[in-house]
Amino acid sequence: MYRYDDFDQTFVAERAQQFRGQVARRLSGDLTEEQFKPLRLQNGLYLQLHAYMLRVAIPYGVLNSLQLRQLAMIARKWDRGYGHFTTRQNIQFNWTKLDDAPDILDALAAVDMHAIQTSGNCIRNVTADPYAGVAIDEIEDPRVWAEVLRQWSTIHPEFTFLPRKFKIAISGAAEDRAAVLFHDIGLKIVKGAKGTTGFRVYVGGGQGRTPYVAQEIAAFVPRDEILSYIEAVMRVYNLHGRRDNIYKARIKILVNALGIDKFRSQVEAEWSKLDKAAINLPAAERERIAAHFMPKPLKPRALKDPEVEALRKSDAAFDRWLRTNVLPHRTPGYAIVNISFKEPGKVPGDATAEQMEAVADLAEQFGHDEIRVTYQQNLVLPTVAFADLDKVYSALVVARLATANTELITDIIACPGLDYCNLANARSIGIAQEIARRFADQEKSEAIGPLRLNISGCINACGHHHAGNIGILGVDKKGTEHYQITLGGSPKDDAAIGDIIGPSFTAEDVPGAVETIVATYLRLRRDAAETFVTAYRRIGKAPFREALYGAANPHRRASTEGEPSNV
Amino acid sequence: MPSVVTANHLRSGAVVYLARDGRWVEALDCADAVETPSELKALEALAHAAVERNEVTAVYAFDVRLDDGHPNPVSVRERIRAARSPSI
Repeated sequence: MYRYDDFDQTFVAERAQQFRGQVARRLSGDLTEEQFKPLRLQNGLYLQLHAYMLRVAIPYGVLNSLQLRQLAMIARKWDRGYGHFTTRQNIQFNWTKLDDAPDILDALAAVDMHAIQTSGNCIRNVTADPYAGVAIDEIEDPRVWAEVLRQWSTIHPEFTFLPRKFKIAISGAAEDRAAVLFHDIGLKIVKGAKGTTGFRVYVGGGQGRTPYVAQEIAAFVPRDEILSYIEAVMRVYNLHGRRDNIYKARIKILVNALGIDKFRSQVEAEWSKLDKAAINLPAAERERIAAHFMPKPLKPRALKDPEVEALRKSDAAFDRWLRTNVLPHRTPGYAIVNISFKEPGKVPGDATAEQMEAVADLAEQFGHDEIRVTYQQNLVLPTVAFADLDKVYSALVVARLATANTELITDIIACPGLDYCNLANARSIGIAQEIARRFADQEKSEAIGPLRLNISGCINACGHHHAGNIGILGVDKKGTEHYQITLGGSPKDDAAIGDIIGPSFTAEDVPGAVETIVATYLRLRRDAAETFVTAYRRIGKAPFREALYGAANPHRRASTEGEPSNV
Repeated sequence: MPSVVTANHLRSGAVVYLARDGRWVEALDCADAVETPSELKALEALAHAAVERNEVTAVYAFDVRLDDGHPNPVSVRERIRAARSPSI
């Protein structure tokens, strides 16, 4: 992974020191809240429902064990013993005090971490494929470019006060595991002519109040020209993005107002005027950064291990976990291990200090000191020898992190919702817990097959409900929490925004509605190989609507579709 | 409908409520619910003075029902805040 040099370390330490001074001035009254708020937000500190929340950046979701242990220490010393992994591969601490924030930033800086650009109208933490560097379908490691973009965008003076926040995701593999098409800029590394690599660039994707799947703006930008190309996109957005209306300020609104062709021609005109040589990354600097991500020299090992095979035969739960949570690694004899933070009944994405330490121990002992955070709010050990899988599993069982549900219905993405968040209209966590309990039988959830179920507590869509195969959106209906269900969304290469299926449900009725939807799918799917989203696209809304609302008068019920979230 | 004035403690971020004597209390039960616009105005004046003194931030009033004299928030949001913990 990338290691800070003296410049990076000095910058982060000085930034923490600067924030210490700003906090002192706020507490003494030299700064008003109005003056202080943008400063604290630039350091990831929000005021939420119960307390200050500190959002810590985890660049492209990459951590080592030292950093994860430090996060555990922070959780224990300055929070209530836990943190929450977010849908942007970051971690949030929900119970911090303003008094303690400077000390926390110092503790982060000590392990090359910070909370910069986790808030505000700037380029946020760049996200990437959590299997980067180890996936069998990888073309090129996206972490190199995520790190380049991190360095380029950090306090970039031109892009610190954009019309609105700006999110970039990168995938370097055949399969999109970074929800690239739901980002302001999505980058897919692709092969070009004569063995070159470059980027297919997408723009204008996003969720929130007005969801859009990103559109292709460039089929191929040579990799060494990507910085100037992105700078051209940012400049067009910075100039023409709307600053008069927060709901229309994201780049997706601009792209769709102009149309992709007009937006593209404006970007190309801007690109042609830029001093590309001054912006693009020199090859030597790319190589310096890439050297941090060179594959580990792994010796291929046996594809099967007698002890693992024996346990597999004697322990059905281990066998299931291998099937659902463990994936092939590009080096024979190794595996990618998904660690589920979605035990039914628990809060999706919440990790206790002890659990963080347990994962840090495993990474150190069996995982080459590498940990990844996924946007599905789980962790990954990207490189584990096949022969160590039984030992890793046993330790995960003890830490209550061995639920076999990766990509299954109980692997629910859920935002903090009204239990923590100042913006939420409804609770997400309780709904996620109850749905997960209903599908807690792992044999049953495995039989259902891959199914993304995502829950957001408000239209801002931090819980990615638009991209869920089943999406649930909390709305406030005359003072009570209601939940609107969407079907057919997908965050992957077949990216789609879910369709609203009908009138909303009360909190009590949502889990039953999900059971009805799943039962309808199981009844109508061609066979077990036809996934939920494939079946939905084949059979459409009608059978689900009928199962949920009855056939008596579906047209009357349909008239309330699309109800705004504030009714 | 009666209202209570709330804020977050500046240093800790903790949810606090205003009593008629200007004290900020952590238990909603110890806050004062007021029923008339002039009473609310008086509480808000106290609250804004506390903002000026850098004791609290994010001041606002919210609706409550009085059950045997005890204020109970009308909205789910304020019930969760008053519980001082998530509802899970």
